[in-house]
Amino acid sequence: MRLLQKLKRKSSPTHRGSGSNYAYATARVRAMKSNLLPRETYPRLMNMGIDEITRFIEESQYKQDVDELARVYDGVDLFEHALNRNLGVTFTKIINISEGELNYLISEYLKKYDIWSIKTILRGKYCNASVEEINDSLVAAGQLSYTFLSSLAEKESYESVIDALSGTDYYPTLKGYDGTNLSAIENQLDKEYYNGMFYAIGTPGSNDRKLFSKFIRTEIDIKNLSTLFRLKKAGVGEDEIADLILEGGLHLSMKEIEKLLPLPFSEFINSLEKYPYWEDISDIVSPEMDSLVDLETQLTRHSIKSAASFSHMYPLSIVPIMDYVLNKKNEVNNLRIILRGKAANLDEEIIRNQLVI
Amino acid sequence: MVDPVATTAMMDPAGLKAIGAGLAVGLTGLASGIAEKDIGAAAVGAMAENESLFGKGLILTVIPETIVIFGLVVALLIS
Repeated sequence: MRLLQKLKRKSSPTHRGSGSNYAYATARVRAMKSNLLPRETYPRLMNMGIDEITRFIEESQYKQDVDELARVYDGVDLFEHALNRNLGVTFTKIINISEGELNYLISEYLKKYDIWSIKTILRGKYCNASVEEINDSLVAAGQLSYTFLSSLAEKESYESVIDALSGTDYYPTLKGYDGTNLSAIENQLDKEYYNGMFYAIGTPGSNDRKLFSKFIRTEIDIKNLSTLFRLKKAGVGEDEIADLILEGGLHLSMKEIEKLLPLPFSEFINSLEKYPYWEDISDIVSPEMDSLVDLETQLTRHSIKSAASFSHMYPLSIVPIMDYVLNKKNEVNNLRIILRGKAANLDEEIIRNQLVI
Repeated sequence: MVDPVATTAMMDPAGLKAIGAGLAVGLTGLASGIAEKDIGAAAVGAMAENESLFGKGLILTVIPETIVIFGLVVALLIS
């Protein structure tokens, strides 16, 4: 057996697929995907009152989370917590069922949530939020557990939070935080996340790796596009926008974005025509647009659509798992939008515009 | 010079048939094993989430079993 393993290792110098259980993990994740709410559910939910929606969620796959948290929270907060908890549990489960290289790549991808939670805690400390308020927004879907994150939230000051993170990869960046430059640190964390992601992917040799790299780079494009739209709309200066742009986009490379930066809003929109994203956003984008909500939902829809098409190309790769991660996140977001919207008595049309179905 | 008598004794037809039959079953057995490995893992994965997939999973897992059955038939035909 040891001889076999040695031979296997020798024949694959890049360690591609070494010890990964693609078949098991992708089949399980696909079965999990079939448990997601079908798209016809959302119009039905829209027609329900808040009581019916809560009952619907209580009877769905979120039942266990709702039951466990029912002692501590109530009302819409309970469901928000239950949804967050379910997201965390599901993503941790994906990390736990995968092995080898697959596990490494998924953990790297889900570090996004660790960064999200660290940012939340620092922001909370920055504006003196209470421990409960910070705990409300934590999503423990990455490698850092909820217990650890909430122990960070309980710390007195941001210095002790950063000290507690001294063993992690984020420490070198966090060390630069002096209590005032929060947005710069946040931005740097994001940039480092994507650098780490590209390092983990390496030079994609196989087709499924190339697809995964394409998936990540599409995500960067979409992030950059929404940053560009938001900041251009707000009339922020060229240099300031350039700082916030992430490198490594698929269609919008740094060079292309540098060309877009000096353009005024209307010309910026016209010059997007040559990119593949235009097809999805052309109907809603105009120089006079007031709200960017439609645009952002459309961009999210585009990323989900492209992930779905990628996942059919290589069934035994990481891409179907990423497709599930996106869809699950979207489901939780949609449910939250409906719940919060209904609780705040928002107009049905406004809620519907926010949903990504 | 190779002794023709010795060569005939070494190449005993019954022995060669037995080796052929053994190879037919052995190699096809390994082949089915390799083929079933991923299917079985996937079936268990799917079943862990949805128990009703047991039947489908079982059927799909044993489909590569045909390879070893063909091997067995060939072995029986040879010997």
